[in-house]
Amino acid sequence: MTLVRSPRTLPPRLPVRHRPVGGPALSPMLQRLAAERATGVLLRERGTLYLCDGQVVHAESPETPGLDVLLTTGGGLDAEGWREAVAQAGERRRVGRYLVDSGRVAEGALELCHTGALFDAAFFVLGPSSAPARFRYGDAHWLGAVRPVPVAALERETVRRRALLHRIWPDPATDSAPLIRADRRAEPPVPARQEAVLGQVDGVRTAADISRALGRPAFHTLVDLRRLAAAGIVTTAPPAPRRHHPDRMPPAHPSPHPDPVSALLAPSPADPDVALLRRLRDALEAL
Amino acid sequence: MPGIDECLVEAMRLPGALGAAVVDWTSGLALGTVGEAPGGDHETTAAEAAELARIAAEHRAFAPEGGAGWDGEDPPVEDLIVSNRDTYHVLRFVRTTFDSSVFLHLWLSRADGNLALARIRLGEMAGRLVLG
Repeated sequence: MTLVRSPRTLPPRLPVRHRPVGGPALSPMLQRLAAERATGVLLRERGTLYLCDGQVVHAESPETPGLDVLLTTGGGLDAEGWREAVAQAGERRRVGRYLVDSGRVAEGALELCHTGALFDAAFFVLGPSSAPARFRYGDAHWLGAVRPVPVAALERETVRRRALLHRIWPDPATDSAPLIRADRRAEPPVPARQEAVLGQVDGVRTAADISRALGRPAFHTLVDLRRLAAAGIVTTAPPAPRRHHPDRMPPAHPSPHPDPVSALLAPSPADPDVALLRRLRDALEAL
Repeated sequence: MPGIDECLVEAMRLPGALGAAVVDWTSGLALGTVGEAPGGDHETTAAEAAELARIAAEHRAFAPEGGAGWDGEDPPVEDLIVSNRDTYHVLRFVRTTFDSSVFLHLWLSRADGNLALARIRLGEMAGRLVLG
């Protein structure tokens, strides 16, 4: 019997131990603010959430492209049009309304793009943080409300997105590190949207850089990168080479990537079995 | 110019419409929902429909002849139709000028609905939603 493997078949998903990703509330402070129907801005380590009457109306994170980048990258709105809207309506905090009323952006398009960007930034803002959050009462964003989102819905979605990433590939390394193609020769064809992400992988850019370059929500890039990592196509760039000290004693703790294994795997990187072993090793380490 | 809610309300005016949603197929996020959901939960339905839409949009087998990928902002697939004993699902991909992965999902009663009409109307709604 001959086994025919379609070139598009991705390797089967490795079994993954299910860990609870829900747990306690993402931000007890945010839930309190929702309960008291607060208006203002919540400043967290990885970005900000704007609240109006206890609902989230806007979110920003340095890790995600802003609405301006998302709207102008595809050419639907030019940078001049955006600047004019901010200049004309920024003070009144009605930039969103102005974009629609002046015919620059359709109402539905603004809602789709802005709501997508809100959930996108909130995913990072509500991510693990080691610094205390602050809330400034009264502040409103200059864009104005587009489509307010209840805090509970935002938290549910953020938890669901974490689980989604974990299910695709449990190692979060590709979320934030500079990326490289794992092995060009073994690459199967990838879907067009993943191809666009792959085209930006250059050993320097991170997921956030790629999202900005493509004008695409950052979570979408994370999903595609995890899929590419699961398929063994993309991996993180190795850290800058360490200097070699032959006289020095070997380190007391074994390194997380034991060198004998790397040496064993190094000679023929094109061998698909080696790629499989690498993915197995990565998956085991990520558990 | 219609927003998400106006678009969904319009979808519910179609004969036999049971529920409708606007969904992002990369994340599975329901951007807007109206009416009933199969199984009673719009968020779960959105995540499951998104999986189906993603497979259709990503696999070369379903792309038009000669155009394997995304031609500009045009999704390679226009719509998806799933039928079962008592209902239809119509998933219509939305073309946007910005980078997105959005579709309209209409859930239709088989006894009262008109699949051909729903399919045409949903396509028109998808156009108006983003072009005004």
